[in-house]
Amino acid sequence: MGNKLEFRTIAGPPSVVDAICRALPFTRYCFDHGTDSSYRIDMTLRWPRLYISYAQKLMLLASVPLILAVAAIALVVAAQSRALAEREINALETQLIEAKKAELRNYVTQARNGFYFIYGSAAPDDAEAKQRVGQILSAMIYGEDGQFFVYDYDGTAIVSPRETERIGRNLRGERDAEDTPVVDRLIEIARSGDGYHTYLWPKPSTGVPARKIAYVTSFPSWQWAVGTGVFIDDIVASVATSRAEVEARVQRTFLYIGAIALIALLTVFATGMGLNLRERRLADAKLKKLTQRVFDAQEEERGRVARELHDGISQILVGVRYALDNALRRTKRGDPSAAAPLEKGIATLAEAISEVRRISRDLRPGVLDDLGLGPALRMLADEFGERTDIDVSFSTVVFRNRLDNDAKIALYRIAQEALTNIERHARASEVTIDLRGHKRGATLRITDNGIGFSPKARTAGLGLRNMQERMDQLGGQFYMHALPGEGVEIEATAPLTHMLSPDPATSPPESKTPPIKEDAA
Amino acid sequence: MTRRLRIAIVDDHPMVAEGIQSILESYDDVEVAGTLNSGRAVIDALDTLNPDVILMDLNMPDMGGLSATEIVLEQRPGTRIVILSMHDSPEYISSALNHGAMGYLLKDVPTDEIKQAIDTVMRGERYLCTGAQGSLTPKSGGARETLTGREQTILLQLAQGQSNKEVALTLDISVRTVETHRKNIKRKLGISSTAGLTRYALEHGVLQGTGVDL
Repeated sequence: MGNKLEFRTIAGPPSVVDAICRALPFTRYCFDHGTDSSYRIDMTLRWPRLYISYAQKLMLLASVPLILAVAAIALVVAAQSRALAEREINALETQLIEAKKAELRNYVTQARNGFYFIYGSAAPDDAEAKQRVGQILSAMIYGEDGQFFVYDYDGTAIVSPRETERIGRNLRGERDAEDTPVVDRLIEIARSGDGYHTYLWPKPSTGVPARKIAYVTSFPSWQWAVGTGVFIDDIVASVATSRAEVEARVQRTFLYIGAIALIALLTVFATGMGLNLRERRLADAKLKKLTQRVFDAQEEERGRVARELHDGISQILVGVRYALDNALRRTKRGDPSAAAPLEKGIATLAEAISEVRRISRDLRPGVLDDLGLGPALRMLADEFGERTDIDVSFSTVVFRNRLDNDAKIALYRIAQEALTNIERHARASEVTIDLRGHKRGATLRITDNGIGFSPKARTAGLGLRNMQERMDQLGGQFYMHALPGEGVEIEATAPLTHMLSPDPATSPPESKTPPIKEDAA
Repeated sequence: MTRRLRIAIVDDHPMVAEGIQSILESYDDVEVAGTLNSGRAVIDALDTLNPDVILMDLNMPDMGGLSATEIVLEQRPGTRIVILSMHDSPEYISSALNHGAMGYLLKDVPTDEIKQAIDTVMRGERYLCTGAQGSLTPKSGGARETLTGREQTILLQLAQGQSNKEVALTLDISVRTVETHRKNIKRKLGISSTAGLTRYALEHGVLQGTGVDL
């Protein structure tokens, strides 16, 4: 982004400068330079920041190439069909004009042959013969505008049956709407033999100038230019119509392609949005379920703790209170037997203390915070072995407390969950727990030699899902390998980012759980 | 006994510290040199306290009992330290001994055990409170001794290529202490060379994430 600061100084009355600044989209600041009315504007480009979601990016990725491809196809198709049509139209035009030309030539040849008996035997100055031929030619009108014309080489019109006012007039130098001398050109062609000439001529029927093609030949001894012409405006018109049709067709093609592209795009968008919506709904549902589970677990735990506090500790403490009360009363009376209830109170208090210890350890093993994951797992393993008579072996490297709180708790709970599963379902006789750090983090691996289960039959119980979610939360990995009859192996890896430096000089990263008291142990 | 034993009590709970103090004051042959509320405080006051025995709580803000034990022993190796704790699991007990403590005392034992513990450690013997002795060896195997916090720190520095002298300077301890630690580390890991230590640290992820180029 062009973050280089660039300044332009512009001068003008403040209101004008202000208006300019507002109008320039790329100016970031506009401020009074101080002196008279010159201002400096920061011309740094101010790109609008686009926040595009992943889904939108995908959508763009799908639709932009589609649009480009469709546009390219449309352009190529249009160019091709235009070129093709143009070739065809040109061929048609040429063909039509050639046909007209042949027709004209035939007319003239026919006419000349018709009165050759007169012309052939007449002298160059045989006025009677000339008149007879002229009459015959005058009579040979055809079609709507068809006629023969005769000019002598001087340019005087001799035959012009449909425009009789021209007869006898010298029309040399007469020009058509395109400023070409028509009669001169016709005479010129006749002098040199025969030929065609195309020009604009008013249609005798309507008086409107139209394109006309004429064939002219000469009666050399009489110094006559004889010819006939037809209007080819119908050809021109039909060619123009064809062209218009082609253009319309091309535009229609464009429209079709555009419509197809639009449908494709809409499909892409609709699919994308549908997917998006579905994902979101699924995520929402998952979140809702998770939240519910968290609430349920929390409620259950609270209920349990409350019950234990009330049924256990409170009752014991009430007992202590009675004992102390009793001792106090006896002391006040001067009764020497006060020691007995005091001793009882002290003993009961010890009971209360051990009860608190038990509850607190159930809630969260202090050893996890105080000594680290290794000792906590060892304790877990020992207790598990004692409780279940399953042979547990635990191995770890000698380092401790290298994991931050989140990772420690996650791995500890996973181990707890795994051992619970083994106790309930595995029917195992041996369990190995291994925890070690390595170059990519720390891995906890728990294997048993139990009955295992088929991954297909796996119902993804709450326990397994919990384990997976704990590691997901951590950005770590969770694998489970299970086959019927081959036991189960689970492997949870916390990433390096959750490992602390063993150096106490570098403070451990912030964690969601409260900081542990014992720092280096 | 010509002079009374000097006892320092380190606990961040005033009720507990006062309770222990009043119990100890009922004996003629001990005197309470001071009560402190953190590991850091006792290290700072070591010279004025001049204690024979320190009763050290395990959980304290601003340096807990285990780290404090290590550092106190680095500075005054003859000091006898008894860890006071609410936890009765063997992991705690072996950790305490591993860090150099001579005794481990649950806070809810009958009060006369406190004096008994002091007397035992002063004779140069270990004192583990009732019920703790039997649970010392973990049943789940893999009983290789764990490195203490101090030893981990020193291992990292050695693995980074620092000399004994440099380590001693950074940690403000004597070169001989570093050598002792180094010997202990090698013994615990079963490794004889410094290169071996570096490799071990590397393979077990000690150096990772510590700003050291690998």
